[in-house]
Amino acid sequence: MSFAIETYELSKSYGQVRAVDSVNLRVGLGEIYGFIGLNGAGKTTTIRALLGMVRPSAGSVRVLGQAAGPNGRGPWRRVGHLVERPTAYPELTTRENLEVARRLQGISDTSATSHVIERLDLAAYADRKAGGLSTGNLQRLGLARALLHEPELLILDEPANGLDPAGVVEIRELLASLAREKGVTIFMSSHILTEVDRLATRIGIIHQGHLLEELDAEKLEALRSRRLIVKARQLEAAQSALAQAGFKVQAGEGALVLDEARAVEAPEKVATILVNAGTPPFRLAVEQEDLEDYFLRLTGEKL
Amino acid sequence: MNAFLAAFWAEALKARRSKVSLVTAAAFSIFPIIGGLFMMIMRDPEGARAMGLIGAKAQLLSGGRADWPAYFDFLSVGTAGGGAILFAFVTAWVFGREFSDHTAKELLALPTPREIIVAAKFVVAALWIVGLTILIFALGLGIGAAIGLEGWSIELGWTSFWMLIITVLLTLLLMPFVALFASAGRGYLSPLAWAFSTLGLAQVAGLMGWSDWFPWAVPAQFSLMFSVVYGQRAVPLGIHSYILLVLTCIVGAAATFAWWLRADQAR
Repeated sequence: MSFAIETYELSKSYGQVRAVDSVNLRVGLGEIYGFIGLNGAGKTTTIRALLGMVRPSAGSVRVLGQAAGPNGRGPWRRVGHLVERPTAYPELTTRENLEVARRLQGISDTSATSHVIERLDLAAYADRKAGGLSTGNLQRLGLARALLHEPELLILDEPANGLDPAGVVEIRELLASLAREKGVTIFMSSHILTEVDRLATRIGIIHQGHLLEELDAEKLEALRSRRLIVKARQLEAAQSALAQAGFKVQAGEGALVLDEARAVEAPEKVATILVNAGTPPFRLAVEQEDLEDYFLRLTGEKL
Repeated sequence: MNAFLAAFWAEALKARRSKVSLVTAAAFSIFPIIGGLFMMIMRDPEGARAMGLIGAKAQLLSGGRADWPAYFDFLSVGTAGGGAILFAFVTAWVFGREFSDHTAKELLALPTPREIIVAAKFVVAALWIVGLTILIFALGLGIGAAIGLEGWSIELGWTSFWMLIITVLLTLLLMPFVALFASAGRGYLSPLAWAFSTLGLAQVAGLMGWSDWFPWAVPAQFSLMFSVVYGQRAVPLGIHSYILLVLTCIVGAAATFAWWLRADQAR
């Protein structure tokens, strides 16, 4: 078994709507796979198909080497999951909700519940009814349930949803350490692309049900475009000087943008041209396209 | 078996922690209390006449009698009729709450098979309903003794208890369809609409004299058949009536299991 998740021509239709169309995913063991797409792109449908919650209209799904679904069968003892917004039985406490999950997971170690409560920093809310938890703490409870049985594979739909900035960092570090230290494979969807950017070792981009691209983080790094941002007191004069020097210059908001390689790789030459023209720059910066920009460029969507 | 015990423990915990268990107990307690009130009214015919409509209703429902046999009849027939709705409410909650609370998705990709979870839900609903029945019988005994009803014997008490339990068990056979509607309808509205519809259709079947062929009318007819007060109103049930009832249970349960195993859980 070399892949934690494999889908073959996975398709799912609801009536006339093709939610997922011929998706071939390969998630290697130990990878942190970021699955990104717009709302309605097919992320959650794909995740539900991986977990055997929906029956593929065509194609198949294998998780940890076993066929998943459609009758609920799969290697679920080895898989932790969080699908869409976290939910819990409101009349049960945090601890009781996790106790229910522990028993249904078939975990005999009764300390597993307390352990995961500590790990997710839920001790202060352990005996509080889940109906009164904030969205962030409900998200922590959902993550605790996913991690309770120390799975080999985590399938997480928007794991950072509802968390405050400190919580986002905490969960990112937790997931990174699980992958690094315990070899846990993580398949996560997110709309917070900076989170995926920081965490994922491999990224899949889904758009309108199609998997547009699958690429390693290193390859993404190489594909991202870079550009030189120039700010000067006299922008028009600076633009004119650079144009005379043969650069293609775009005027942005209070700045000039140069995306040619000779500008990006030699910003000192650009500075020299501007100084000689009597309009020295007060800011020169090489900026790299982030995942969000790359995603929007690839999908043809605009901000 | 361990998987079943785990699922049963989980379902029992949800039921115990819910306020719904108290609400159903309170709602079901109304039967013996109203029955006791009617018995008190009927023991005082002058007073009953003075009470007008309530007195007339008490006269109708108790057959003009105020003793233990009439009181037990009231409990049994009342359970067969009103119980069908209340038991449907319990079943609808046990299955439908997973959809109204959006927790169903937490039950689908687990080492505990889905069919075990569904079986545990059926068992908890059945025990809950039988528990409610024992509660109203015990409450009925207390109320009957407190108002000093006549005609008591141990034999009558046991016979009435088992008649009530059998009536409830027959009613339980109708619950799988309620569970199916709670699951496929993803909440409480569909199963309750189903329960009220079948109760109404059972009344129509009774008026047409077809109660023995309509499974949803069988439990009430069973309780009527053995009633000292209402016995003459009963449509005789045959073996076909019980076979149809059991088939209804099997079809409803099979459809519920199949739905949990095979239906898309996209919400």
